[in-house]
Amino acid sequence: MKRAFGRRWRMGAAFLFLGGWLFGGGMEAKGAQPDLSYFQQAKINWKQFAGEKLTIGLNKHSYTESLLPLIPEFEALTGIKVEYLILPENEYFSKLIADLSNQRGEFTVIMTGPMRNWGYAPPGWIIPLDEFLNDPKLTDKAWYKPEDFFPGLIAANRWSGKIGGGTGEGPLWSIPVMAESYILAYRKDIFDQYKIKVPKTYEEMAEAARLVKKHAGIDGIIARGTPNTPTIATGYISGLKSYTDGQWAEVDEKMNARLSDPRVVKFTQMWIDMLRESGPANWANITWYDGMETFAAGLAGMYPDCDFFAATFENPQKSKVAGKVGYALLPPGPAGKTYSGLWTWALGMSKATKNKGAAWLFIQWATCPRTLLHATIEHRNYNPTRISVMNDPRTQTVLGSWGKGAYIKTVQENLKTARVAWVPNPERSRLGDIWARALHEIYFKRLSAQEALKRADDEINKVLSDVGLRK
Amino acid sequence: MARSQAPMRRHEARLPYFLLIPGLFLLVGMLYPFFLGVYYSLTNYFLQYPHLFRFIWLDNYIKLLGDSFFAYSLKFTLAYTLVAVVTQVGLGLGVALLLNSRIIGRSGLRAIMLMPLMMPPVITALMWKIMMASSRAGILNHLLSFLGVGPVNWLGDVNSAILSIFIIDTWGNLPFVSLILLGGLQSLPYEPFEAARVDGAAGWGIFRYITLPLLKPFIILAATFRVMDSLRIFDVIYAATVGGPADATMNLHMRAFFYAFQWYQMGMGMAYAMVLLALVFLASYFLMGYWKRAAEQTTI
Repeated sequence: MKRAFGRRWRMGAAFLFLGGWLFGGGMEAKGAQPDLSYFQQAKINWKQFAGEKLTIGLNKHSYTESLLPLIPEFEALTGIKVEYLILPENEYFSKLIADLSNQRGEFTVIMTGPMRNWGYAPPGWIIPLDEFLNDPKLTDKAWYKPEDFFPGLIAANRWSGKIGGGTGEGPLWSIPVMAESYILAYRKDIFDQYKIKVPKTYEEMAEAARLVKKHAGIDGIIARGTPNTPTIATGYISGLKSYTDGQWAEVDEKMNARLSDPRVVKFTQMWIDMLRESGPANWANITWYDGMETFAAGLAGMYPDCDFFAATFENPQKSKVAGKVGYALLPPGPAGKTYSGLWTWALGMSKATKNKGAAWLFIQWATCPRTLLHATIEHRNYNPTRISVMNDPRTQTVLGSWGKGAYIKTVQENLKTARVAWVPNPERSRLGDIWARALHEIYFKRLSAQEALKRADDEINKVLSDVGLRK
Repeated sequence: MARSQAPMRRHEARLPYFLLIPGLFLLVGMLYPFFLGVYYSLTNYFLQYPHLFRFIWLDNYIKLLGDSFFAYSLKFTLAYTLVAVVTQVGLGLGVALLLNSRIIGRSGLRAIMLMPLMMPPVITALMWKIMMASSRAGILNHLLSFLGVGPVNWLGDVNSAILSIFIIDTWGNLPFVSLILLGGLQSLPYEPFEAARVDGAAGWGIFRYITLPLLKPFIILAATFRVMDSLRIFDVIYAATVGGPADATMNLHMRAFFYAFQWYQMGMGMAYAMVLLALVFLASYFLMGYWKRAAEQTTI
């Protein structure tokens, strides 16, 4: 009896200890009040929509990881309850389009971006944010500092609605929270050891890839290769735009496809030959993630892709090449300038949103200087979209250490000419898929570059005619 | 007394109708999306262009007939199903016979065999994708290098990508086939086997003339499930190759997905889905009829 009592006592004590350990920490965390004084300097009533509820649609992304720990601050500031749904990119966009097209308003705030807005704005699924930005009851512009965003990134999220043009004009559809442009990451240690020149032309790029493969015994270059738009959207299209001095576009003003332009044929042949000769054997199956992991594992000599992958390359816990990577602009065209593509993840608002005021307060809070600064310096959200965040000494210390200063110099130089690479139209993704398949036809030698790109032109023209976009 | 029984009878008469209500909801829940899909397949419904929406009768289906991409997807879907089902049922039968025999560690082997069934197909595909890395860093190529083979470009080449999808699919589904056939083997009556042995039959003869005919309903059942799944295979292809390289693994289901959820062309996406549905229905209808006849023949 005594023994049984003793056992029960011990179990009870263990239970109390475990409970205290489990819940004590939680209570402690809950008890810590965020410092809201910075936000309360804004001359608006943050509590005007207290008690309302928001559902945010989020893509699984490093920006999302940086936002989540900060959300309790918004809830404490506004009294608005925030729920969110995070999905992998493809599933996220499928669910988002189902919500937007039915105008159910399940997502009040959405994670979007310039090229996505081209599909959402014409049917009226999302609403411009200017009216909220200019409403003094909702926004203290002097506090919010909209002029602090990099002008090119804000311009990328403005669109007049004109098919085939109008970027940088008209309504602001979303506010950028992170930005990526496309640069060349290369193995500086190997380039130095074997005296390989950092490429200044695409012919030199192919030669550098050949030499890396020959001397170091690893793939000379890696690039995305799956049969869909992402294969086109980063290094390849940036290279092509640079090679044609920013003068060529995938469709003309009447929305006729122009992939079989001789300059495109020549560049594409060169790109594919380079990948076939010096790239990974499974190029046709490489996603951005495979490319990033392969490069970080020290198995590729060059990776022309997103600039912010440097965060992985320079992290010794995730990378075998930390401290060994150089960063450079993609080779320019004959006129000497590089024209990188550009993408920003951005926050927008569904037209079906019932509590638009509360949704705007969330967007304003999430994109104000302090929140974006914390997202970057505490939670690694790169690259920042505000000038003040980029210039903050703590950001400069981190970014400045990558590639011994080469990273930040390259990105700042790149952003001078980087722009959204695509011609605005809602069929961008379909067009990219057709284009990527043409690259596969060339890679596997089923068709010549001229034939594959001409066939892609015909297919794109048919698609654009079917939906009435071709004039 | 008769008065008090009348409401009771009325209640009893209504009871079956009340009990049918959940079934009715289930039926409507199943049929509504189906008929909506059929309806959309007869329209040119583009999610992004609601103003273009109109009823176009069979235009989507007529377009399919002249579409070389559809022709390839149909051919690939049918050929893949044939090869996958024949192989998986054949191998599954071998595994079932092995696990039904008196071998050491039989119960352990049976438990291990079930492991692939517990994994979601997407995880299975991603796991294999890592193992199938084209360089020597991929575990499969590393193992093959000891045999002096490779490296094989598993997922990056047109022909080997199809083979790779087949391997991943077979690894994931072989246990299911084996499980059905093992259950079948264990439920077979003893008498025919004993009689055959008394008559001097052994080994291959018993298997060919007794085991196989008696097991036929189970084989057809396993094949029916595998035919349906192989015609509809999606998650493994999506995770491993996204339908590539060069559309090599783009089956009807993948193309329906691309039309409906990547290009937001619901009308054409649903037309693809309806063709696939018709194939699944026809195949399962004939196989189930065959199964019924086989089951009747083997019932003693």
